[in-house]
Amino acid sequence: MSDSSKDRSGSGASADAGKATVAAAGSPRQGGTSRGPFELGRFLERWGVLVAFFLLLGTSTWAEGFDFLSFENFRTMLNSNSAVGILAIGMTLVIVSSGIDLSVGSMLVLSAAFGVTAMNWVAERGQSELNSVLVAVAAMLLTGLVAGMLNGALVVVGRLAPFIATLGGLAAYRSIALAIAEAGEIRSSSATLFAKIGRSGIPLGWESGVDADGNLAYAGLLNAGGKPLTLTWAIIAFVAIALVAQWFLSMSRFGRQLVAVGANETAARYAGVPVGWVRFRVYAIMGMLAGVAGAFVSARGNSVSTSGTGLNYELDAIAAVVIGGTSLRGGFGRVWGTVIGVLILAMMTNILTISKVSVYWQGAVKGAVIVLAVLVQRGRRA
Amino acid sequence: MTGASQPNPPGRAAAPAPAGVAAAPSGVLLAARGVTVEYPGVRALDDVSIEFRAGEIHAVVGENGAGKSTLMKVLSGLVRPTTGSVEVGGRRAQFSGPSDAIRAGVAMVHQELNLVPALDVAENVLLGREEVMAFGLAIRRGAQRARAKALLAMLGADIDPARSAEDLSIAEAQFVEIAKCLASDARVLIFDEPTAVLGERETTRLLALFRRLRDEGRAIVFISHHLDEVVAVADRTTVLRDGRLVQEFARGAADEDALAAAMVGRELGSIYPEKGVAVTDAAPAIELVGFGATGRSRGISLAVRPGEIVGLAGLVGSGRTETAEAIVGLRRSTGSLRVGGRDVRFTSPAAARAAGVAYVSEDRKGRGLHVTMSSIENMTMPSLDRYARLGGISIDGSGERATTDRWIRDFAIRCARPELPISSLSGGNQQKFALARWLEAGPRVLIVDEPTRGVDVGAKGEIYRIIADLARRGLACIVISSELPEVIGLSHRVVVLRGGEVAGELPRERLLREDCEERIVRLASGLSEEKERDA
Repeated sequence: MSDSSKDRSGSGASADAGKATVAAAGSPRQGGTSRGPFELGRFLERWGVLVAFFLLLGTSTWAEGFDFLSFENFRTMLNSNSAVGILAIGMTLVIVSSGIDLSVGSMLVLSAAFGVTAMNWVAERGQSELNSVLVAVAAMLLTGLVAGMLNGALVVVGRLAPFIATLGGLAAYRSIALAIAEAGEIRSSSATLFAKIGRSGIPLGWESGVDADGNLAYAGLLNAGGKPLTLTWAIIAFVAIALVAQWFLSMSRFGRQLVAVGANETAARYAGVPVGWVRFRVYAIMGMLAGVAGAFVSARGNSVSTSGTGLNYELDAIAAVVIGGTSLRGGFGRVWGTVIGVLILAMMTNILTISKVSVYWQGAVKGAVIVLAVLVQRGRRA
Repeated sequence: MTGASQPNPPGRAAAPAPAGVAAAPSGVLLAARGVTVEYPGVRALDDVSIEFRAGEIHAVVGENGAGKSTLMKVLSGLVRPTTGSVEVGGRRAQFSGPSDAIRAGVAMVHQELNLVPALDVAENVLLGREEVMAFGLAIRRGAQRARAKALLAMLGADIDPARSAEDLSIAEAQFVEIAKCLASDARVLIFDEPTAVLGERETTRLLALFRRLRDEGRAIVFISHHLDEVVAVADRTTVLRDGRLVQEFARGAADEDALAAAMVGRELGSIYPEKGVAVTDAAPAIELVGFGATGRSRGISLAVRPGEIVGLAGLVGSGRTETAEAIVGLRRSTGSLRVGGRDVRFTSPAAARAAGVAYVSEDRKGRGLHVTMSSIENMTMPSLDRYARLGGISIDGSGERATTDRWIRDFAIRCARPELPISSLSGGNQQKFALARWLEAGPRVLIVDEPTRGVDVGAKGEIYRIIADLARRGLACIVISSELPEVIGLSHRVVVLRGGEVAGELPRERLLREDCEERIVRLASGLSEEKERDA
């Protein structure tokens, strides 16, 4: 038995360490090993989304004054974008698995429609408001879950390309909702309780006494009118879901397997990863999150417009994911990036609206930003 | 138009014959002059000057990480040197990309083949130089196919140009890739480990082709880990080590041992470890009875006992890999399979692993490992369940790290930072991880497919020793390999497959005889018709 190459004193340890780096640097496509001491492209690829965020923040503040930076303004932006945000978080997971879900907006409206219909049906039969609202929420989550599972089954069992399978869902799920209400609106029969899910939350201010005119005075975070701000349940849910999703993506077995499937499905299969089960679950989770988003959207309006609710949300969700730096080819993603992506989209809408840019032009600006985001981050896609 | 008359490629006037192309007076077609390539903290190439002459096969050898690939990337325009220059035909050339190099007549056949799977063979061969009707209205399919067929015929490859590139075997794809280079009328052809994916027979054909292309006056640059091929075919051999040019040998000036010594900077002993004595009376750890991968192999009966290494030889396409994949449930199978005396049929590699059967794929980059993921993540992928905490909500990171560090120590893996993508490691070290990740699952049966493909000489010896050690400790091993010395040097007996069936078997005594290599080749290629268990 020879001891052929156990000891390589000839080349030395430092040279060997160097060799490994050569291999990495020699193939610029792989890994995160940097090629130069500092390269703008590399930096932007990784942190571009934060740079964009602060640039936009600076521009907005400059254009609108410091009111833009107010807590109230951010709360409003977050609140009105929390549904898209929740969808975008699920979309991040789907895209990491190298899939896509075009049906999220339709799943949202379908679960909202089913939920509100179920609520009204139960209420008509004499159930209390509380019970009927509970039924509504359960029905929404369940509808979303079932729709998502159907997507997952089409992708995994039916072996359809995710794009095609969910394109079908995009058309079909909304169509069912439209059919139920004959393209109209479904109003909630709940007087106040259901709407509270969408409008109330944790108040951020409290009574501090009475002012000179005899009115109640408040302390804490107040809006322009001096009343306390509310941290709505929708915002809390958005943030909580983001935290949980980021944890699952980077710390859990499911997240690890999701990345493995997205990076190289064949290699994952060869390593014994249950590829089908992983894929199925990610679509089911996406569906359930669409149900959650549906609950908040319908509760805020206390009704569902089957033709308008959730329309084109899939585009905003995908845009937020892409801006956030998740690779559309799968195998790499970050939820925090998506959250910032949602904020960037929200700020853009906000500033464009305030600057009185026509709604018709806003799409063009948004589109340009999305394409720019992909261009800046394309190193990772190559 | 007949296939034989080749029209002039666009962009180059009537000078299709490579011999007629302007070369420097010395016959130097392509040269690197004092090329240095620096990456942060490391010098991948250090002042390398090398010349490639018309009518010469020039081999470049070196261990993984010696700088061969970087040099080839410089020559083919993928990487720009930090200092130094590249000359084509005696004139300094500035390549800003591979297309510049191709235009200058320098074409590279990459290790990873770059065919478009959706197109047919002819379309791939003539990609970018299609035969079109006037004004580019449509592609002239017939003319394309005729021309592709002619080019392939020149290579001695009988591949139907109408076939889809998707269906090609790796060897066939390689010939198509070479035809593509010929279509671009390249004067310098650079081959990056072309034989790594080929069986013996295809290799012989490819080497014959090298000689033919050389005799036409082209310059052939050839990277290989197979020193026997280098000695057989190269007119000149350059050895790189740690980014520097160590030595240049003219034909016949160095044998395999001398080359290997120059590569590693010291003498090498025999790289094959001693074979342990196989325990022949134990019950088989795995038994195939009339087993086969549906559509690819059939009727294979084979029993491997604990401590035994059985080599599986055969040409590319003989069904070796497919059979192994069928065993671990990656393909549908026929016949019966017994593991540890129990009848089984696995539905996935996870199920096979649970029963103690592990398969290490031949295709390290595509199937064996996740190249974009870290060494640690790759290490624990097959046994991830063991590190799951709270039902999978979190992963035991320190446990993963400890396991990885243990294998790094045990297998002497050179991996300073296992949290970096595994692609930052050399092929040999990646291969050790590919083995370790399955051994961590504690298998009783190990199937390794091409264990040393794309691995340098030093690491090869280490991998052989690892496999021999495992067998000595009672693991039943099946080693699939296209390298005959490897199969013979490592195995207790060798089973040869041909066309999906067992063509013959060579027991231990037979492997000691001088002519065993020839015997395997004859069995594999069907030259000897009788199926015999022993001569």
